[in-house]
Amino acid sequence: MSRGQNKAQSPMKAKTSRAEALTVKKKFITKSDVFAWLIMLPAIVLFAFFVWEPLLESVRLSLYSARGVELQEFVGLKNYISVLHNVSFKAAFANTFKYIGWSLIIGFVVPIILAIFISETVRGKSFFRIAVYFPNMIPGMAVSLLWVYFFKPGETGVLNILLSKIGIGPHVWLNNAAWVIPLIIIAMTWKSAGSTSLIYMAGISGINPEYYEAAAIDGAGVFQRIFHITLPCILELGKTMLILQVIAVFQILYEPLVLTNGGPNNASLSIMLLVYRYAFRDYNYPCAAALSVIICIVLIALSGLYMKLTKKKED
Amino acid sequence: MFFEKYNDKTDGAIRGFDVKSPRVKLICILIILVCTVFGIVAMYPAFWVMFSGFKDLKEFTNEATLLPKEFSPSGFVETWKKLDFAIYYKNSFIMVIGCVISAVIFNGLLAYGLAILKPRGHKIIGGLVMWSLLIPATTSIVALFVNINRLGLNNSYIPLWLSYGANAFYVVLFKEFFEGLPKELIEAAKLDGCNVLQVFTRIILPMSKPIIMVIVIFSVTAAWSDFLLPYLVLNGSGKETVMVKLYSYSTSRTTAIDMIRAIFFSIIPPTILFTLFQKQITDGAAGGAVKG
Repeated sequence: MSRGQNKAQSPMKAKTSRAEALTVKKKFITKSDVFAWLIMLPAIVLFAFFVWEPLLESVRLSLYSARGVELQEFVGLKNYISVLHNVSFKAAFANTFKYIGWSLIIGFVVPIILAIFISETVRGKSFFRIAVYFPNMIPGMAVSLLWVYFFKPGETGVLNILLSKIGIGPHVWLNNAAWVIPLIIIAMTWKSAGSTSLIYMAGISGINPEYYEAAAIDGAGVFQRIFHITLPCILELGKTMLILQVIAVFQILYEPLVLTNGGPNNASLSIMLLVYRYAFRDYNYPCAAALSVIICIVLIALSGLYMKLTKKKED
Repeated sequence: MFFEKYNDKTDGAIRGFDVKSPRVKLICILIILVCTVFGIVAMYPAFWVMFSGFKDLKEFTNEATLLPKEFSPSGFVETWKKLDFAIYYKNSFIMVIGCVISAVIFNGLLAYGLAILKPRGHKIIGGLVMWSLLIPATTSIVALFVNINRLGLNNSYIPLWLSYGANAFYVVLFKEFFEGLPKELIEAAKLDGCNVLQVFTRIILPMSKPIIMVIVIFSVTAAWSDFLLPYLVLNGSGKETVMVKLYSYSTSRTTAIDMIRAIFFSIIPPTILFTLFQKQITDGAAGGAVKG
């Protein structure tokens, strides 16, 4: 698409480049360049302070011992070793794979189902779109606190009240170590599925209608059309969303912090919660930084994969 | 009558010609029912919070009911006063306003440079911004917190406001919008003797209302919901925002019913915002993320 645009603009470009040639003197840095950099400078400083420098600072911090925020002495990889040998790290590491696994089963599939179903409605479509997106507007902290009451064990927990109406006895929900991760993923999916499904819906509405018509002429039923046309057409989008989701799940923090505080018995401890504990419970900033760096390396690898996938799509 | 509307359907698997068969009609009805269930599941918790807020403490903790016995707003008023919500609302508004201004000005100017001025070497910054889009902020939160402490900026709104001026997602949204603006107008303004800043204030800004709107809505929601950095910077300073306070209440001895009402107060502003701007928000969410 962009190639076509360039062609259309090329006569105009020739004109402007002539104009530019008149005004721009052949200096290495022109006056307008300096001015442009000055305009961009404040934001660049902010990016440096809030995004780029902290990444480097994490690496530096992780290589030192510290008292509070004051660095003491260079200790090499000692912090990394102590983090990796921590019992909690092993639990958090294993849990991360459970989180990702469950999020692939629940969190990945639900938005696709939502999108396909809502795309097939005619009446009430805009209402459904708005309704499923609504949880995304509720602040993450409020969502987590809300689910505390839904997952409350005993007869007054909201899910237990609802289930008792169809005769199912009270469950302990989050106190069950085997359930805690899937339940946290359900809470997460409830919040984020709507916004992901809007992206899929945009993808579905972009599918060439002739495909469906051709399939219908060949005698394909509605479900066959969904399986053989809709799903393959949103597959590329699905890959992108999958990586973004893994990146998001990798950093899950609010939900375990508020719902379970990592429990029962570290069964829901996530890596970010471990960073949080190191830094803001034990005030051990170097170890927290070391763990952050480990997470960051994994995320950079995942992001590289994401870039590769999206680049392919553009070609 | 109901099925006639399917003739205008232009996307998806089910088409107007399908709905002649009773099987497809049944499928259509089932799909609408399932979507209704999805809608109820999505909306229900918010309504539950509102209804439960009307209960009193005894009713809330002892009785396994979904609806309150009576609807009197006095409980909400009581909790509002008891938990000093007026102060935290005010704090949150101060935080949100500063964040929005900083989000629009700093990211907008950076995108103006990257999309239109394109000075020598702009590609390096463009690349770094795209790259930071993929590196989530939470991984560097510890180092950022340590830096803020070293500068003595804790207990202040300033680092929170400024942190919204460095948002790669907003820069990308602005940049894409600016790149789509007609170049002729900008060239014409330059020929008329406007300098770079005048081009921005007189030509670009008036044309950028839709994108500014999107960024304002996004950053209002994000700033209102923001928890981790505000918690680390503001907790215990008397400047706590609603989210920070909500978490402190949940870890202190606040009664369950006050907690429910506090959650209700914390979701009112985003709900109002959503009701007012549903179209912009859902369109922005569907479009922005794909391009980003």
